[in-house]
Amino acid sequence: MDAVSLVSPVLRGPFTGRARREVAFCVLTLPFGVFIPLAGFFATVDAGLLLGSGPPWVADGNPSGQAVAAAVGVAALLTVLLVTTGAARRLTAACRRLAGWLLGEQVTAPPPLASRGARGLAARIADGPGWRALAYLLLKFPVMLLECFAVAVLWGAGLANLTYPFWWLSFRNHSPGTRLSPVPVITPFDWIGQGHFTVATFPGTFAAFAAGAGMVLAAPWVTRTVVAADRRLIRGLLSPGPLARRLADLERTRALAVDDAATRLRRLERDLHDGAQIRLATLAMNLGMAKKKLGDSGAVPDADAARELVDAALQGARDALGELRELARGIHPPVLDNGLPDALASLAAGSAIPARLACRLPARPAPAIEAIAYFCAAELLANAAKHSAASTIKIDLSEQAGRLMLTVADDGRGGADPPRGSGLAGLAQRAAVVDGSLTITSPPGGPTRVTVEIPLHA
Amino acid sequence: MRIVIAEDAALFRAGLARLLEDEGHQVCAAVADGAALLAAADEHHPDVVIADIRMPPAYTDEGLRAAVELRRAHPGTAVLVLSQYIETVYAARLLSASPSGVGYLLKDRVADVDEFTDAVTRVAAGGTALDPEVVRHLLAASRRAGGLDPLTARERDVLALMAEGRSNAGIATALVLTLGTVEKHVASIFAKLGLPASETDNRRVLAVLLYLRS
Repeated sequence: MDAVSLVSPVLRGPFTGRARREVAFCVLTLPFGVFIPLAGFFATVDAGLLLGSGPPWVADGNPSGQAVAAAVGVAALLTVLLVTTGAARRLTAACRRLAGWLLGEQVTAPPPLASRGARGLAARIADGPGWRALAYLLLKFPVMLLECFAVAVLWGAGLANLTYPFWWLSFRNHSPGTRLSPVPVITPFDWIGQGHFTVATFPGTFAAFAAGAGMVLAAPWVTRTVVAADRRLIRGLLSPGPLARRLADLERTRALAVDDAATRLRRLERDLHDGAQIRLATLAMNLGMAKKKLGDSGAVPDADAARELVDAALQGARDALGELRELARGIHPPVLDNGLPDALASLAAGSAIPARLACRLPARPAPAIEAIAYFCAAELLANAAKHSAASTIKIDLSEQAGRLMLTVADDGRGGADPPRGSGLAGLAQRAAVVDGSLTITSPPGGPTRVTVEIPLHA
Repeated sequence: MRIVIAEDAALFRAGLARLLEDEGHQVCAAVADGAALLAAADEHHPDVVIADIRMPPAYTDEGLRAAVELRRAHPGTAVLVLSQYIETVYAARLLSASPSGVGYLLKDRVADVDEFTDAVTRVAAGGTALDPEVVRHLLAASRRAGGLDPLTARERDVLALMAEGRSNAGIATALVLTLGTVEKHVASIFAKLGLPASETDNRRVLAVLLYLRS
């Protein structure tokens, strides 16, 4: 890595859109960090003063026991109110949206309380996402202070320092002999009493400029680090809890499974209707016509036509049989009853592109898993034959830590992209139904490698 | 007769055209969807249109809708709807849109060439042709409700054939009875069910269907 490639991101840092968006995020979410701790502070202190009877402060300057008890009571009440009224949820919903909009941090909102049929005070007090939202608002306070530091001191004061040389000559052009007090320059270390300096002359302003440049160059990185902490809080506290996420996953995959089943039944009906059924109807019609040509008894009035119609009927019967066979195999390939290795071997043997199969499966998976793996392999082979222009395909079946791994790799031109169809999205959905996953690596130019990972037992 | 066929399965369409031509009818056009059917009907003014219910683009009930529209736009054109399934509601929709000059048959019925051409002829003459399956459903419902209790087994057979839209002569042939016996059965059915005696075959069918559906 040469010097330019090291330095250029540092120099460009302050000018990126990301830097601007992170500053905007810090500024816009500032009220959320300030509001709750501040409101809580004043409310509890005031309550201590108002509700604690007698002199609020005992002689030694400490609050009375009553005042402390009142303050604690009000703090607890406020906390519970913030959660039960849903205020914490609403406030953090705004934070979550800002994070999604400005930081690209897409966090799913927790399910609303009402949607689970849980109303009532007990349900509101037991509202996990509400409590986590409150925890965010409290933890946001220290993070907010750091964000303020990054924005106000590094960005704000840094930019201000950069301006010193430009206005100095306009405002500090008094006649010689006039004594002016030096102008202070703010640096990031002011708050620990370090680095503070003043400027009295024009050449001195370049020191301020240099300090400003350093601050502005550092600002995006410091902001990014602080915002990263905020991101972690948002991800951890403002998303649905692990159980809720699991529930959402299961609901989603169940919907997929139901849809998939309905779609497959509809396609099956369609295939029967447009295939075997109409062929058999045509066959019956041809036989009916042939019968008519043969006459009721005795001599055949139109033997040639009858023969031709019987031929057509015979052909129709063969076609209908073939179609029914294909359809039956599509529903459940009989060879799958012998196990996945045999079924995949038969699939590989029928592949348009030469396919090699390697099976290392110590135990038989559940039948449903075998069927999913089989249909995934069939679809991937068909995809490869249609799109990859590959010369060989390798199918690999193995077991890793209780999971079945099916890999179909080709040496074709790559570029497979699930959102653009080709059935890959459908396969991913089918795998997701049993908590499986689909991994695709298919750079343009190839090769394509798709791995289906599913549990051995659904 | 001049006939237009609408059917999306090419093999079946070709077979049907041949069957009708062999029986001496003229197939003016054989098309594959509802829109083309309406266009062909406008162009050829056929005596009968034979349409599949499920056709492109949506594969739902295009043929049925086209049939209803056709009956409205061309009262002189009879419509025979074919399907691989029988849905009683489809039959009801077809009959309520146009009580005469319509038919609804399973595609399987084309295998019996004479019966099928008889149905086409009946529909073209302003009659009706309901599939025995539809009639069976209607009779079963009516029987459950007790509406057929007064009838003898033979009378129920005659009632079913009447509901399909057949004439007395047709019923006589189908049941191997004399015309006089059929007429006696019909009179008895009408008396027992309290239906008004009707002059034409078609009125009779409607009366029977109305009874069965009530």
